[in-house]
Amino acid sequence: MVKLIKVVNRDQCIGCLSCVFACARTWEHVVSPDMACLTVRRYPGTEGAFSIRVCYGCTDPDCAHACPTRALTPRDGGGVIFDSAKCIHCEDAPCVEACISKSLPWNEKEKEPFVCTHCGICANFCPNDVLVLVEAGV
Amino acid sequence: MRNFYLLDINLSTQESKVVDITEIFKDYIGGAGVATKLFVDTCKGDIDPLSEDSSIVFAIGPANNHYPVITKTIAVFKSPLTGDFGESHAGGNVGLAMYQAGFHALRITGRAQNFSYIEIENEHVKIIRADSLKNLSATAAERILSDKYSHINIKSIMKIGPAGERLSPIACVGVDSSRHFGRLGLGAIFGSKNVKAVVIYGEKYWDTPRTKYNAFYKDLYKKITQSELMRKYHNLGTAVNIIPLSKINGLPVRNYSQGFFEGADKISGEAMADKHLSQKIACAGCQVGCIHIGEVRIMFDKENHMYKTKKVSYDHEPIYSFGSNLSIDNSDNMLLLLHEVERQGWDVISMGVTLAWATEAFQKGLIDQEHTMGEILNFGDGETYLRVLEKVAKNANEFYTDLEKGSYYCAKKYGGEEFAIAFNKNEAAGYLTGIMTFLGYAVDTRHSHLGNAGYSIDEKLKNSETSIEDRMKELYDEGIWRIIYTSIAGCLFARRVYHKDEIIPDILNAIGFDGYNDKTLWNIAKKVHAMKWKFKLDNGFDFDDLKLPKKLLHIMTSNGLITQEEFKKGVEIFRGFVKEDLKLIEE
Repeated sequence: MVKLIKVVNRDQCIGCLSCVFACARTWEHVVSPDMACLTVRRYPGTEGAFSIRVCYGCTDPDCAHACPTRALTPRDGGGVIFDSAKCIHCEDAPCVEACISKSLPWNEKEKEPFVCTHCGICANFCPNDVLVLVEAGV
Repeated sequence: MRNFYLLDINLSTQESKVVDITEIFKDYIGGAGVATKLFVDTCKGDIDPLSEDSSIVFAIGPANNHYPVITKTIAVFKSPLTGDFGESHAGGNVGLAMYQAGFHALRITGRAQNFSYIEIENEHVKIIRADSLKNLSATAAERILSDKYSHINIKSIMKIGPAGERLSPIACVGVDSSRHFGRLGLGAIFGSKNVKAVVIYGEKYWDTPRTKYNAFYKDLYKKITQSELMRKYHNLGTAVNIIPLSKINGLPVRNYSQGFFEGADKISGEAMADKHLSQKIACAGCQVGCIHIGEVRIMFDKENHMYKTKKVSYDHEPIYSFGSNLSIDNSDNMLLLLHEVERQGWDVISMGVTLAWATEAFQKGLIDQEHTMGEILNFGDGETYLRVLEKVAKNANEFYTDLEKGSYYCAKKYGGEEFAIAFNKNEAAGYLTGIMTFLGYAVDTRHSHLGNAGYSIDEKLKNSETSIEDRMKELYDEGIWRIIYTSIAGCLFARRVYHKDEIIPDILNAIGFDGYNDKTLWNIAKKVHAMKWKFKLDNGFDFDDLKLPKKLLHIMTSNGLITQEEFKKGVEIFRGFVKEDLKLIEE
């Protein structure tokens, strides 16, 4: 069964960045909040909250439509599959631009998108049940 | 081992350079150790802390961002409050932003030609004119800069309020909305340098160590999030201490007149959670989320049902200093006072304790309504205290101007030294648990409750026959361990997770910072301790000047009455430890 990562309790986020560090640690083998498949928009302190931007698992993804080389293709159950060999590292990153929720981060080093595989490691390291891995379609 | 860099900024010459300080990290680990070394090596003796030549050093440790709750940044400077060693720690995003900008230490010297803020993007430094930020509240300055840099997701903003611009020696530097380099007047040094704020961001990172690192991380993550060790901070926060401390006569009330607060249940952690807690947030890299944000709703137009909401962070120390110690049990008023302190950018403990001194001085006739411009100072009167803070903020007259110089200064000028509750001029934190609390403040190099936690020795050894010699040794040992822990820049709330044999050498080893064991770390910490003390002693500190404010000799603590003789004895014992440590850097 295909799984999808979902933000289920956005308002329980404390902004610790544990999820993004976990993603970067696991997949990119780096210690960085900027090298992950998701971001936490911080409106920190006494006047705001946090917003977690992770792949929404679209079934007809805008990012895939925007990709000129089909490096991004729809994944069964939602989200996209990324074929790095087909990516031509567009200067203007149309895939990132197409994702209006800003849930597709850009890898400045490789000049390609960070594509979420919906592995669930971010949810494993979330202390407040903000993120969960669910079965697609449920 | 990786390389570690210092970003060295001279505001006067508008030059900056990146310096490889890997050897200093090898010798002093990072955080408190490295910041101390970098500072004492370059700070000239007898310097005016607010002069152009004065410097500020910030440092993080090699493990920042790599492990849960290793999130702090240590600032070292010459304190305009005490005239000697200044050290203050803050969380927020600074530690992450410095790491991402590619340096583990930052030194700022000189003075900007114009009122400015500093932008640091990786190693690129800009000193940017900022006249429009002049006299803005700390909160407004952050709001504006946050908006200006809204395209940068991860950044840190350090800023001062008007108090820092006025060079108040009790001004703090606020960090990322709700954290602070609170104590000993760093805000005044920012002000003296014409610096309203520092914005830091960057894109650098390190590869993850492949060895035991992930396993260590996972284990620590479990301890931090699932064990009882951190529950207090995650749950009600340090405000959970209010009722238990009051019950054991350990909560300062009405300028340290007693340790029991009759209104404790109205400002306790439980009451604050029920009535005001609106959100908890975390420093970057900490899953605990101990920052408790309290909200107070105010109707400002009854006829039209118009409301505004003010939010401010709270924990034990603010509740003590603007709650019990001023006898305020109206939590709305207490939060409004804290909000004003946040806007002006004062250290909350110092300002609260100074107001408590002022109230007692008024009641004893040392100051009168001419000084206060008609205000009648009464413990418990939050509305008057709000007007008092407004007058201090306006420097409405000489007396109100003096109030933001701290309780020691005021007591010297107006009288009442016996009830100015400060140790080496630094106002005391919120514990009335016994002699070890006060000895802890007295002999810590930054005169903080966090340097050696004397209050926990009071609590642990209550009713015990342990000698003063043994207690002082325990105080000293805890202080040395805390130098190790703050050199890896760990948050002291997680000390119980990291306070066991070999764990620190192990986690350092797992990230490639190897070659250390408990013994080598202990020796490094003792050397750092000696460096701090040498600076203090070279800059006018004298153990003989340490004394208990006389008022405390007549107040029942959790451990009964205390005596000046025992206090002096404790100080003498500690002076012996310092003497021994100083030999380490004299040889």
